[in-house]
Amino acid sequence: MPLPFLSKKPKEPQDKKYAIILFELVQDGMQAEEALKTAGYECQAVAPPPEVRLGCDLAVLIDAQQQVGIERVLNDLQIPYVDVVFPKMVDLRRLNVYKEVDFGRWLMVRCGNVKITYEKATLMIVNVSGGAGSDVPNITQNLLGKKLGEAPPPRSFGYTLCAYSADRAYRRCLEIARGSKTSC
Amino acid sequence: MLVLVGTIPTPGLPLIQGRVRYNDALQIGNDLEIPGARLMHCTTAMMAAAAAVCQTLGYDTPYGVTAGCIGDGSGSRLLYKFLTEEAERLGADVLTLHYIVPQSKLIKQAVDSITAWRKRPILIGDAGGMYAVKAAGLSPLFDLFTPDPGELAFLSDADALHPAYVRHFISEVDTTDMPRLIQRAYEHGDAAKILLVKGETDYIVRQGEILTTIAEPNIAAMEAIGGTGDTITGIAAALIYGGYDMVEACQHTALINRIAGQLCDPTPATQIGEIIAHIPQALEQVLQKQAGAVHA
Repeated sequence: MPLPFLSKKPKEPQDKKYAIILFELVQDGMQAEEALKTAGYECQAVAPPPEVRLGCDLAVLIDAQQQVGIERVLNDLQIPYVDVVFPKMVDLRRLNVYKEVDFGRWLMVRCGNVKITYEKATLMIVNVSGGAGSDVPNITQNLLGKKLGEAPPPRSFGYTLCAYSADRAYRRCLEIARGSKTSC
Repeated sequence: MLVLVGTIPTPGLPLIQGRVRYNDALQIGNDLEIPGARLMHCTTAMMAAAAAVCQTLGYDTPYGVTAGCIGDGSGSRLLYKFLTEEAERLGADVLTLHYIVPQSKLIKQAVDSITAWRKRPILIGDAGGMYAVKAAGLSPLFDLFTPDPGELAFLSDADALHPAYVRHFISEVDTTDMPRLIQRAYEHGDAAKILLVKGETDYIVRQGEILTTIAEPNIAAMEAIGGTGDTITGIAAALIYGGYDMVEACQHTALINRIAGQLCDPTPATQIGEIIAHIPQALEQVLQKQAGAVHA
C-alpha cells in the first residue's frame, strides 16, 4: 500500500532540480549513461560545468531527487565517478545531432564530428571520418571492414567524446539499417 | 626543420622520433614502419602527406614525434612532456600539433614553453591539438588551424569545450553559414591567425577576413573518407615549411588535396592511402599550372 506522503501530486517539470554526475574518464560517463538508462532512470549526457572541466569531459545530468538510487546503481556496477554537483545553470546543449548523406550504394551518418559510412547491401563499414580524439583511429581499426551489428560498439572500447559521438553514429547506422529512424 | 607531432593508435608504443619518409610505407625514424594500405585518418595520414610533398619538392624530410595512444591519454602525456621539456632542441621552423588527447593543463604548459623558445616556430594546429588549444584559450598564439565545418562550429562557440558540445543551431547551419561561424570564432578569440576551413567549399581566412574560397573540383565522396582533412594539414605544413606564404600555401593545399582525390576517382569506400599516393602528381599539376600562369 502506498504511503500517504508518496501519493501527493507530482511536481511540475519546472520544479525539477537537476544534479550532474562528474567522471574523470569519458569512458566511465558513457558506461554510466548506458547503465542508468537500462535501470530505468531518465538521464542525459551533458557538458560538465566550466568550473570543473579537466579537458574534453562528459557528465551525466540526472534528476536530483533520484540521486541516491542512481549512486547505488553506479556503486553496484563499480562505475567510478568523481562527484555529484548541483549547478545553478545546466548546459543542455545536445550531444546527439545527426546528419545523414545518401551516396546511393553507401550511407554516411554523422553524429557530432564523427562520420561512419557503410555499404547498404552488405552493411559493411567502409570508412570512419571526422573526429580528432586519440581513440578515433583506434575506433576506425575496430570498425573498418566489419558489418554493422558485428563490430563492437565504440562505447565498449572508446575513451573520449569522439568515441561517444562515434557510438551514437554507430547506433544510428544500426537503426537505419534495421528500418527504424527513431531517436537514440 | 618541419616537426610533426601526434599520437598513433598503437597501445603501449613509447615515444618514437626521427625523420619521416613515405614511399609505399610510412617510416618514422628507424623504429616504426606502417604499410601504405594501413594508413588511416590520423597522424599517419598527416605525416605521409607532408613527407610526400617534401620529397616531391626536394625539401628536407619532416621530423616526426609520436607515441601510442588509444584515447586513454598515455601516449598523449608523453607528447605533452616532450613538447614542454625537450622539443626546443629540434630548432623547429614549423611545428604541427595533431592527434592528442586534449588536456587543458598540459597544453598550457606546452604552449607556454614553446612561446618562450629562443626560436619561435610557426605553429599549426589540427585535430585534438586544435581542440586542446581552443579549449585552453590559446588559439591566437597559433598561426594556422585547419578545421572542418563541425570543428569551425566548435571554434565559433565560445563556451564549447569539444565539437560534440556545440550548440544545436550551430551544428545545423555549419555548412551553409560559414562566414558567420568564421566571424564568431574571431570575435571570441578562438581562431588562429589563419584558418583553412576544409569542406565542400574550402575557406581561407586571415584574421577574420575571408580571402578566397575553393570549391572545385568537388568530389562528394571525399567527405566520407577518413583522413582527407589530415592530408590537408600535412600538405599545408610542408608547403609553409618550404617557404610559401601561408595564404598561398593554403590555396595550393586545398587544390592539391582535391586533385589528388579526383585523380584516384574515389568512392565513399576508398581509403586514404590511395589518395596520398596521388599527392605528388596533384602537387606537380597545381604548381606547374601556377608557374604557367606566372609566366603567361
